[in-house]
Amino acid sequence: MAEYIILGIFLLGSFLVLVAGIGLLRMPDLFLRMSATAKAGTLGTGLMVLGAAIYFNEFAIYTRAIALIAFLFVTAPVSTHMLGRAAYFDGVPLWKGTIQDDLRGHYKVTTHSLEEEIVPEKDQPHVEDEVDAFEINK
Amino acid sequence: MSLLLLNVLLALVWSALMGNFDPPYLLFGFVLGYFILWLFQKPPRTQKYFREVPLVIEFSLFFLWEIVVSNIRLTITILSPRPQLRPAVVAVPLDLKSEVGIVLLANLITLTPGTLSLDISSNKHTLFVHIFDLDDPEKFVKKIKNNYERRVREILE
Amino acid sequence: MMVEILWDVIFSFLAIGFISAFIRLAKGPHLPDRIISLDLISIMAIGFFVAYAVLYDQSSFLDVSIILAIITFLGTVAFAYYLERRV
Repeated sequence: MAEYIILGIFLLGSFLVLVAGIGLLRMPDLFLRMSATAKAGTLGTGLMVLGAAIYFNEFAIYTRAIALIAFLFVTAPVSTHMLGRAAYFDGVPLWKGTIQDDLRGHYKVTTHSLEEEIVPEKDQPHVEDEVDAFEINK
Repeated sequence: MSLLLLNVLLALVWSALMGNFDPPYLLFGFVLGYFILWLFQKPPRTQKYFREVPLVIEFSLFFLWEIVVSNIRLTITILSPRPQLRPAVVAVPLDLKSEVGIVLLANLITLTPGTLSLDISSNKHTLFVHIFDLDDPEKFVKKIKNNYERRVREILE
Repeated sequence: MMVEILWDVIFSFLAIGFISAFIRLAKGPHLPDRIISLDLISIMAIGFFVAYAVLYDQSSFLDVSIILAIITFLGTVAFAYYLERRV
């Protein structure tokens, strides 16, 4: 019985990882890709680690598994946030179907800071106008 | 905080007495220790710890539920042949003052599938959130404020 | 019998995820795209190690995945830092 529960957990986890991979491939811009991968991938791997902990059923493995899951769930948002910020600052374009962008024009390039009001044009980071080549919503 | 330590200590004592440090025993010890501490409170009987623990549990359950629901939505979106995408970057005004609270809020938003906190303004008043399917900006801001920020504030402040 | 088929399904899911992440790594129009696919690839590698640990009953594979998780995080943060200061 326990074997089938573990298998179920592993199936769900690997399916989430698969979804993360497909999402990474199909989504049209960087930010959508990040929301697809960061969470589905982390959740899937976290589930698989949990399944392994249940399978081994030892105290030492439980502590290791809890440490690993906690580490994954603490670090995933941090790296995603840092990368998202850096990418936006670097001028990675948003997909042309984006319906609202409140962040445009708030970055100040000289100080690397994010201001409350709109920054003058010459201080804004340069954003490429190119529309992503891999579109899916034709 | 010291009550939390005491509670963990009671859980350890329970496990030691049972001679078994498996998670179910530790968990049961924790519940038992919580009950004992609740029984022997000091007179005003309004200590913060006993308001906090149910709030934390409620928040974790809510957050798990939210992760499941939005994960299903995200999976459907990714796997459908013609995904419906309305991505947007929304500015969410913050009422939270403490840095720990803001970090916690931003991490929770990022961990929920489909939303992504991009950055916070330098004076810590506005959080910029990227969402993959936006219906109505006002509704979304209200949802973040009511569901996430309110709970984080209740726990931390 | 059934169990073996299910394990095959699990590993093929992981492998297909790997392949699509690699395609994005090759295509990725911008540097950040490549960084997130590298990040996802190493998270998938953690999943692979864990699945192998259970399949071959070797709990020491879990230690490998802990180290990999730490290195992945540091790598992504370093990349992001570099990317932002480059401008």
